[in-house]
Amino acid sequence: MQTSSSSSLCAIVPLDCILNCSNQLAYPCSFSLGLSRGSRDLKVSRLKAGFWESIRSGLIKNNSTQVIEPPSSTDPQEDEEPLPQEFVLVEKTLPDGTIEQIIFSSGGDVDIYDLQALCDKVGWPRRPLSKLAAALRNSYMVATLHSVKKSASGEELNNEKKLIGMARATSDHAFNATIWDVLVDPSYQGQGLGKALIEKIIRALLQRDIGNITLFADSKVVEFYRNLGFEADPEGIKGMFWYPRF
Amino acid sequence: MLLHGNFSIPFRSPLRPPISITLHHPRKLSFAAAAAAQQGFAISDQELESRGFIFRRTIEDLNLDQLNSVFVAVGFPKRDTDKIKVALEHTDSLLWVEYEKTKRPVAFARATGDGVFNAIIWDVVVDPTFQGIGLGKAVIERVVEELLQKGITNIALYSEPRVLGFYRPLGFVSDPEGIRGMVYSRKNKKK
Repeated sequence: MQTSSSSSLCAIVPLDCILNCSNQLAYPCSFSLGLSRGSRDLKVSRLKAGFWESIRSGLIKNNSTQVIEPPSSTDPQEDEEPLPQEFVLVEKTLPDGTIEQIIFSSGGDVDIYDLQALCDKVGWPRRPLSKLAAALRNSYMVATLHSVKKSASGEELNNEKKLIGMARATSDHAFNATIWDVLVDPSYQGQGLGKALIEKIIRALLQRDIGNITLFADSKVVEFYRNLGFEADPEGIKGMFWYPRF
Repeated sequence: MLLHGNFSIPFRSPLRPPISITLHHPRKLSFAAAAAAQQGFAISDQELESRGFIFRRTIEDLNLDQLNSVFVAVGFPKRDTDKIKVALEHTDSLLWVEYEKTKRPVAFARATGDGVFNAIIWDVVVDPTFQGIGLGKAVIERVVEELLQKGITNIALYSEPRVLGFYRPLGFVSDPEGIRGMVYSRKNKKK
């Protein structure tokens, strides 16, 4: 496994390389070497290994890694541990020595201008900022991915925090939730970040006992969601739209 | 408000949407949608009231146990009424039909969403004893109207296969442009 990192982000790391490489998956566990020090106040907790294995197996494209489930863990989503609101998902060292962390947060703290810029980047039609803000406020959960760059010594570089992904869910707080607006910055796509976003949201919703998690998928991404556990037209139930304007 | 049966509007029709609809959602409604929105309800509130059916838009006076029994009567799984209460308290719009004689709910529908862009209509039910007289249609028409008034034009729902034919004449299209409704299932998760 190469120890030098390329400038294109790559979170594909076989298990045996974790401790040797500068490309690291930051586990919020005691043995993690990549946890942020300094100004960022991260609430991390030790999640059961099984859950992280399931996330990482999504990030590793060739799946040749041996995943050993701890005997007590069954379905990752059945974990009792509550998901921390914010934690480092991925960490890597760039060629110039700076460290880049991808931080997941379900706190819903989104800069509307950043969000609009991200929507522009993925080619979505413009929506009024005030409505975007209202939609976020009225969402049950807003999950974001930010890229934070630090100097080699660990200081956070100014203005190097970038919104690179988001997904949100609306819900009646009891039975149903619907996931909307899933997006990942094109330059960060293909690394399993979208997958991680969705898996986290699902886990958080299931922990709150919201059992019916739904979404509407463009034909091109139906397969993406199928791989995450979603079924299209279960039992023939079909999504319908009122006079869709497409 | 919605055209019933098959309809076709020639693209060069002089039909213009009423001013109020235009102000609420300029250029957001398709031509067909705007035309549909302009029409009155298939059955008016007054007509339904004269037959003893009253439209209610809040959970006030709604007996959740009675509502639950309507859900069960149409085949929904029985749900905890406390949880139903939480769900209704976090629902953007709801509409139920009270049968004056018994004061019981005989039809219901609710919509959740983000209040600006999207809404999903859930729990659409009509008590089997009162099916076939237009209550389901009346409820859907009014829920859609209320959502449109709020400026929400992306209105969706999940339909069981046996009622696709109920929603279609009300203006609902399944899998438009290949968009699929998907539901998460724990047993489907690939390891």
